[in-house]
Amino acid sequence: MNQMTDFTRNEARPMLRVSGLSHRVRLETDTLTILQGVSLEINRGESVAIVGRSGSGKTTLLGLLAGLDTPSEGVVELDGAEISKLGEDERAKLRASRVGFVFQSFQLLPALSALENVMLPLELAGIEAPEARARELLERVGLGERLNHTPRQLSGGEQQRVAIARAFASDPVILFADEPTGNLDNRTGQAVSDLLMQLNREKGTTLVMVTHDEHLAARCGRQLNIEAGILTEPDTAREQAY
Amino acid sequence: MNAAQKLMSVRRDFRERDVRVVLVALIIAVATVATIALFASQLQHTLVSSASSFLAADRQLEAENGRPVPPEWLEEARSRGLETGQMIEFSTMISGPEGFQLASVKAVSDEYPLVGEVEIQHQASGGAREMVASGPAPGEVWINPRLLRLLNLEIGDSLEVGNLPLKVSKLLIREPDGGFRLSSLAPRVMMHVDDVAATGAVQEGSRVEYIYLFAGPEDALDGYYQWLEPKLGPSHEWEGVREGETLSRSFDRAERFLLLGGSLAVLLAAVAVAVASRQYALAQRDTVALLKTLGLQGRGIGRLYLRRLALWGLAGIVGGLLVALPLFRVLVALLSEALERPVEVYLDPSAVLPALLTAVVSLFAFAYPPIRRLRRVPAMRVLRDQPGETGRAALPDLIIALLAIFGLVWLYAGELVLVGALLGGLALLLGILGLFGLVLMAVLRRVNGGGNAWRLAFVGLYRHRQASLAQLAVFAMTIMLAATLILVRTSLLSDWRTQLPEDAPNHFLINIAPNAVEQVDAFWADRGAPLENLYPMVRGRMTGLNGQPVKEAVSKDERINALNRELNLTWMEQLPEDNEIVRGRWFDASDTEGVSVEADLAERLGLELGDRLTFTIGSAEVTEPVVSIRTVQWDSMKPNFYVVFPPEGGLVNMPATWITSFYLPEQKKFALNDFSREFPTVSVLEIDHIIGRIQDIVQQVTQAIETILALILAAALVVMAAVVSATLRDRQREGALIRTLGGRQSLLVRSTMLEFALLGLIAGLLGVLAAEAAVYVLQARMFDGSFRWHWQVILTLPLVSALLLALFGRWQLRTVLTVSPMLLLRRLE
Repeated sequence: MNQMTDFTRNEARPMLRVSGLSHRVRLETDTLTILQGVSLEINRGESVAIVGRSGSGKTTLLGLLAGLDTPSEGVVELDGAEISKLGEDERAKLRASRVGFVFQSFQLLPALSALENVMLPLELAGIEAPEARARELLERVGLGERLNHTPRQLSGGEQQRVAIARAFASDPVILFADEPTGNLDNRTGQAVSDLLMQLNREKGTTLVMVTHDEHLAARCGRQLNIEAGILTEPDTAREQAY
Repeated sequence: MNAAQKLMSVRRDFRERDVRVVLVALIIAVATVATIALFASQLQHTLVSSASSFLAADRQLEAENGRPVPPEWLEEARSRGLETGQMIEFSTMISGPEGFQLASVKAVSDEYPLVGEVEIQHQASGGAREMVASGPAPGEVWINPRLLRLLNLEIGDSLEVGNLPLKVSKLLIREPDGGFRLSSLAPRVMMHVDDVAATGAVQEGSRVEYIYLFAGPEDALDGYYQWLEPKLGPSHEWEGVREGETLSRSFDRAERFLLLGGSLAVLLAAVAVAVASRQYALAQRDTVALLKTLGLQGRGIGRLYLRRLALWGLAGIVGGLLVALPLFRVLVALLSEALERPVEVYLDPSAVLPALLTAVVSLFAFAYPPIRRLRRVPAMRVLRDQPGETGRAALPDLIIALLAIFGLVWLYAGELVLVGALLGGLALLLGILGLFGLVLMAVLRRVNGGGNAWRLAFVGLYRHRQASLAQLAVFAMTIMLAATLILVRTSLLSDWRTQLPEDAPNHFLINIAPNAVEQVDAFWADRGAPLENLYPMVRGRMTGLNGQPVKEAVSKDERINALNRELNLTWMEQLPEDNEIVRGRWFDASDTEGVSVEADLAERLGLELGDRLTFTIGSAEVTEPVVSIRTVQWDSMKPNFYVVFPPEGGLVNMPATWITSFYLPEQKKFALNDFSREFPTVSVLEIDHIIGRIQDIVQQVTQAIETILALILAAALVVMAAVVSATLRDRQREGALIRTLGGRQSLLVRSTMLEFALLGLIAGLLGVLAAEAAVYVLQARMFDGSFRWHWQVILTLPLVSALLLALFGRWQLRTVLTVSPMLLLRRLE
């Protein structure tokens, strides 16, 4: 714990810096390359969409960027901390204090109520008065009346709103969203992405979103394409610089 | 096979975790119940034959008047299909090259022994021993090894019984009927009955017992006794094997213990089946909704599931029996080792029935209700979870299940006390648990979250309150059942150990003349083998009850051996330590009348305090009121008496001899030779062989009990694993999410282990207390032992269960900790 990396904010530093990232999975007979030579930099407060077809490696990239997994090769630096050099517990601590997640399949715990689901990251981060904070956030996402309902009693859109409230609960500096509207119909998806964008702006959070929805991608400040594990940026060749 | 059938195919079904748990539970239940039932019936069977071998027959008829019974009595027995045999017992002087010795002669016919075997030795020193199913041939004698030394004989020499020279062909080590009969005198000479006349030792008026042996089916024996009974005179004694048998008492307890074990196996299996079936039913809801959407009706669905229940049952029964049969053989092998003889395997097919019934009842009372409710799953569920489907058991289901299990245990154990104690204990437990749960949750609710493992553990318990309480209930029940068995076993074994300590008296001295008492006492005190208490003994028959002949006064259904023979009456000032007054009072120094009667005899005679008993002693009659009823430790290896008088009471001036018992270690046995020379009229009864045998048997039965205990503890572990793994998926998802959200591994491990440890601690504490309550009842009513608190168990068991559950919890987390959280979340989607 003592030699823990310094996580203090440095406004000048990019939020996320990736260089030479590759990821391979060993199968029974051969090795499958999922990501190859990915390099990029994302600045504080930016909103970035990573667009690609199913199987292009975008969710794997997201997981590696967020430190949920470690790459086969390359460096990921999140808010100044080099993730691949951190131990499992240090990565966890980093996630608890800096990172928020929104998943395609919501990932709410079925045994917990909406309120308890939002309280969970607050408790893990050791934040005082978690209930009041969770309540406030749920009211903010329009679920003030549904606090004690369990996920099964909520519609998909409502569940994703709980997940968004949970993602913002611990005041993350960066939010990773994996197809946040993928399981929702157009209208609900629209409402959920509105909410996500709005909260993101309000809090000044950096947003990294993986999606195959062009409309949603268009709402982000910057778009990256991924195809067969290779990342390209349509407008500029910025990633080539690294 | 259509698609729906394919979906419901059994092979697919058996791959489901919940179904496998149901199957394992059924297999263990069937295996345990079948093994125990088979072994109990084997024990019963072996015991009857082993106890019969104490008589060398199933029944004996003794004529103590020195006259043979009319030959037509034996012809009648043979015509009823009974085997018969004959023995003549008398005391006489035998002579060898080095002098004379008083010996107790037993002359046996060719058929002897009808049951059991005689142990002999071919050479004088250390030769091989052999079990044979016959007595000596005419012209030969088999003698006690001590006699060989007393008369300085060799095998092959001749000795004279009366006027007849007979060749010593074998040494007699043990006779099957060498039991506790006080009339048998040592040392023993066994000869053929056809040689008796030629000895000239048996004449009109000599003290001779004619003993007739009978063996055959139980109903033929009963029928014969009914024919015979009116013809019997006062000197005839008809003896069965049921009464006062040390072995059978030990086995009786073992058998009850096994029944208790079997009942617990039934209960545990029911719990496991109920838990796993409920999980299964919950998991099947989507399938059912889909089938309904595709047009299958509720009734069709019911049929589909009934069919798989039947298949589960079949698989459970077949699997269980496949486990039970080898286990049963192992237990029989243990038994055979205990009895030091081959045991005929007695496979009673009807003993398997309770096992089959257990499988069927567990399935239909515990697995069927949640599965039956599947018919009501709405098709709409395909689109969306429906509210109000909690999967909670309905009250009628619960009542049916409880009645079923009550009936099953009752049917199985046949002991209302057992059923009452177990179910009472369980009900008490659930009641306390309900209250406790409310309090616990109220307390936990106040605990706020935070990064601390303790707080997270408390919060976890509260968050999963429904699952936590259900798990708590099942753990506590399981622990209670297992603890009951452990506690009963512990006290049973220690009872046995104290019952026959290493230095239990192993020799009796009988027929000590009043004026020789002091010298006899001094003889053994000098040789470092002091005598236990000496008791006077007066032979008398109980003939009257409240002025009526006693046989008319008691119920005809009761066949009471004590009324068919002379009793050993005594007087004493102090109540022996191992006797206990259950009603009335012990004698004062001033008492000159009254008797104290043994409790079982009093019960069978229907005696009340104040009833007047008449005894015929020689030509005199004594009538005394009953002043106390007392329990006796028949298996204490000390002189025990049905009827005791006060020192200044009814036996004053009656002719008495004295009896005592004492412990004589093997290496001091040679002193018996000097003793016999010095006190030729005192009879020595050597029971050290018998005691050794009983100790062996107790040890082997203990092993059998431990085997069963291990089986049942395994069942308990299966139940616990089933319950813990019921929430496996949820826990894994939660663990992965907590890691994603930034929870550290160590926090996750600590909080989960703490949460389970808390569950284990509480369940262990409640379970062990409920077990004490059940044991209190069982101890008092079934095992006639006294109850005491088992602090050691009360303190250790909750800790063990806390540790065990914490490890279970850790085990559940193993995937969460090794697999990347992202991968796990995707896998669980």
